[in-house]
Amino acid sequence: MKKELKIIQKERTNPLAHVFDDFISFCQSKSLFMLHYCTGCGAIELPPAMTSRFDMERLGIQPMVTPRQADILLITGYVSIKTLKRVILTYEQMQSPKYVIGICSCTVNGGMYWQSYATAKKLNEYMPVDVYIAGCMPRPEAVMEGLQRLKDNIRNDKKEHKGSAWKDYFNRYDYYLGNQQALFGDDWQTPTDIIAEAKLYDLETEETYGKHTKLLEKHQTPLLPQEMRIK
Amino acid sequence: MNALHLMAELIFMPLIAFIVGMMMVLMMRKIAARLQRRIGPPFFQPLYDIVKLYGKDTQISHGLIHDIGIIMAVGGYIGAEILLPVPGMEGIAAKGGVITLSYFLMIPSLGMALGVGQCANPNGSIGISRALTAMLAYDIPFILVVFGAAWHYQSTSLIGMIEYQQMHQWGIVEMPLLAIAGLFALQGMLGKQPFEIYIAPAEIATGPMVEMSGKYMGGLFVMQTFQLYTAGVLYASLFLGGGTSFLTLLPKAFLVVALPMSIAFMFPRYKTEDVIRILWKWPVMLALISLAFIL
Repeated sequence: MKKELKIIQKERTNPLAHVFDDFISFCQSKSLFMLHYCTGCGAIELPPAMTSRFDMERLGIQPMVTPRQADILLITGYVSIKTLKRVILTYEQMQSPKYVIGICSCTVNGGMYWQSYATAKKLNEYMPVDVYIAGCMPRPEAVMEGLQRLKDNIRNDKKEHKGSAWKDYFNRYDYYLGNQQALFGDDWQTPTDIIAEAKLYDLETEETYGKHTKLLEKHQTPLLPQEMRIK
Repeated sequence: MNALHLMAELIFMPLIAFIVGMMMVLMMRKIAARLQRRIGPPFFQPLYDIVKLYGKDTQISHGLIHDIGIIMAVGGYIGAEILLPVPGMEGIAAKGGVITLSYFLMIPSLGMALGVGQCANPNGSIGISRALTAMLAYDIPFILVVFGAAWHYQSTSLIGMIEYQQMHQWGIVEMPLLAIAGLFALQGMLGKQPFEIYIAPAEIATGPMVEMSGKYMGGLFVMQTFQLYTAGVLYASLFLGGGTSFLTLLPKAFLVVALPMSIAFMFPRYKTEDVIRILWKWPVMLALISLAFIL
C-alpha cells in the first residue's frame, strides 16, 4: 500500500518569517559541504584549493563524503555515459537545496572529448548546473572565484533567483528525463521518485510531466528492498 | 532550592554547554587548520553549519527509530549536562553522582546505534559496530578512572569531589597515573586520531553518519558540541579541581579538549582490535597501578 504524504502549507503569520528566511539563506551561503566527483584530470587542482595554499575552509566550504550530507556536487572533468548514470543517482540522493558546479571545459561542452562517442557533452542537459568554471584546467584561483560566485548567488537568491537552479530539476523534469532517456534507453529509471518529491515539495509545474515521464511510468518497476544474505 | 530556580538551571545548563561546546568545536577546527598551516573557519562557522543543516528543504527520515535514535543521542547528553555541576549551578548533580553520569554518557552511542540500524546502509552498520566496540574499549579504563577518583575523594558526587580538591590539592597532583589513564580514555571517547576507525571517511564514508542528512546531521553536530563540553568539564572536575567561577573552569575544560586534537595528527589509525588491545592494556594498567596506590 502506498501512503499519500502531504505537507500542509500553513500560512506564514510570523512577522519575523522573512528575517528567519534571510538568516537561513545567509547561513546556507556561509556553510557549504562539498561532495566532489572527480573524473579524469579534474581533481588535480582541488587539493591546493583545499589545503594550506588557498584553504577553502575559511570560506566555510569543507569536503563531505556522502551525497546525503553534501550541498555541492562538484563534477570535475569529463563525464562518460557510464559515469553520468552514477552522477545522476548521486545528484538525486542529495538533499535540496543542492548545487552543482561543473569544473573544466569537459563539463561545459565536452572539451577535448567532444568527438568521443562515450562522453556526455553538456552537463546541464542532464541536471541543472549552478556554476561552470571553464578552463583546462582552471587554476585554484578560478575554482575559488567560482565558489564565491555560488555563495553570492545563494545570498541573493530571493532577489535574482540565481541560487535555486535545483528547483529547475523538479520544475522541468520532463526535459532532463528526456535527455537521460536519449542516452540510457527508454527503460532508464533511478531509485529516487522525482515526481513524487516534486509533488511533496510543491514544485511541480506543467513541464514536470510530458511524454518522457509517461515513458518512465510505462517502464517503471517498483523498487523492492534487496534481499539480505551472505554469499 | 525552589522549583523555579531549578527549572532555570535545567534550561541554562544545557544552553551554556551548547554555546561553550560550539566554541570548542571551533577551537578544534582551528587547531587542525593551524597544524596544517591553514587559516581555518571563521568564528561563527559551527553555528552556520547547524542552522544550515536544520534549514534544509528536504529532510529524509528512514523511519521512527531513526528519529528516536537522534533524539536519544542529543537527549542523553542533555541529561548528562544537568548532572554536571558548573560554578553557580548544580542542577540535579547532588541527586545523581558520577555513576549516573557515566551511565548517561553511554546513551548517545546506543541511540546512534538504533538510528543507524534503521538506515540499513552497510557502511553505517559497519561504522556503528566499530563505534560500539570502541565504546567497550574506552569504557573499561574510564570506569576504572571514575572508580579510583571516587574512592580517593571518598565521594561519588561531583560536588563533593570538587570541594575536596579545592580544600586539598588537585587530583592530577595526588594521583597522576590515574589522570594520565583518564586522558588516554578521553582520546578514545572523543574519537580522535589513533582511535577514529569508526568514522574513517575515506573507507566507510563517515560510518554512523553516512545516511544522516539535514536535521539528523544537525542533531549530530549539536551532539558533538555537548560531547566536547561534557568531556572537558568532567575531566576538569575529576582531576583539575573544577572551578570557583567560569573564568577558572572554562580554560581548564578548553585545555583538556585541546590536548587530544593537538596530538591527533601525529598518529595513524588503529584497527578495531588494536584499539581494544591498546585501550585495555596501557590505560587499564596505569589505572590499576594507580588504584593499588590509592586503595
